[in-house]
Amino acid sequence: MEYFLIAVYAFLILLGIGIILGVLLVLFSKIWEVKEDERIKEVEKMLPNFNCGACGKAGCHDMAVAIVKGEVSKLSQCKPGKKDKNYDPIIEYMSSHPDEDGTKHVPTI
Amino acid sequence: MNTTPYIYTFLLAIISSCLIDNVVLSRFYGICPFIGVSKKVKSAFSMGVAVTFVIILAALICWPLYHFVLLPLQIPFMDILTYILVIASLVQIVGLFIKKFSAPLYQSFGIYLPLITTNCAVLGVVQTNTDTALSFGLSMANAIGTSLGFLLVIVLFSTMRERIEEYNGNKAFKGVPIALISAAILAMAFMGLMGIGAK
Repeated sequence: MEYFLIAVYAFLILLGIGIILGVLLVLFSKIWEVKEDERIKEVEKMLPNFNCGACGKAGCHDMAVAIVKGEVSKLSQCKPGKKDKNYDPIIEYMSSHPDEDGTKHVPTI
Repeated sequence: MNTTPYIYTFLLAIISSCLIDNVVLSRFYGICPFIGVSKKVKSAFSMGVAVTFVIILAALICWPLYHFVLLPLQIPFMDILTYILVIASLVQIVGLFIKKFSAPLYQSFGIYLPLITTNCAVLGVVQTNTDTALSFGLSMANAIGTSLGFLLVIVLFSTMRERIEEYNGNKAFKGVPIALISAAILAMAFMGLMGIGAK
């Protein structure tokens, strides 16, 4: 019975700490929110999202930022990407969504 | 009878954990950012400050958490899990702060910023504080000293690396190999400080 009580305490305490910290994190992320280019989110959705790092970037988010900025010329950097699933939709999206001043950064395969 | 003033003990604890028992060079904690973010003095300094902030805040939160929550409920075995939770959230908050107020700095940290979570220097300090049953004051001294030691060493090392990068030496040694060798020499230099205060 005693052990059971200890387990319950451990569970409750960790749950409590988790909830408090989670709420704090949400609060801080709302306070210090950074507005990002909406296209980055869209491009990230079209990437495989394995976060494998094979492209040389820190993850799929980093790769999406680079694509939107026009720093990526060849999409085949993304090794797990497939032509019809990933590359083609991104090329289509990037050619239909230019920068605010009208310049297009369209990568090739 | 011990008549040593408390402030003397406090300062001695800071110096001891900063220089004599340096976190990177004699305890070998926190090597990952030490090698990873020491290419430029500026980003090394910011990394040092970020780690300092996380260590001091983690020690400040974890000590009361251990002594007033975990011990009374007889669940001190949950310490590492609790510490990691606290440290990870602190790092997230620091990350959010840096992302908001200094985007270039966020870029230069890259993957090393979330990796402060697994920087064993942070967990090491907090764990030592409770394992060796330090008082609150002394555990804060340990935290301050350790983080200052980390800051000092990473800045020192980055200045060394900036000079070394300019030197056009043997190709095989360029980059990380020479950095590791110079880290070893720096560690040997800090060995000279060992035994200070021992009678």
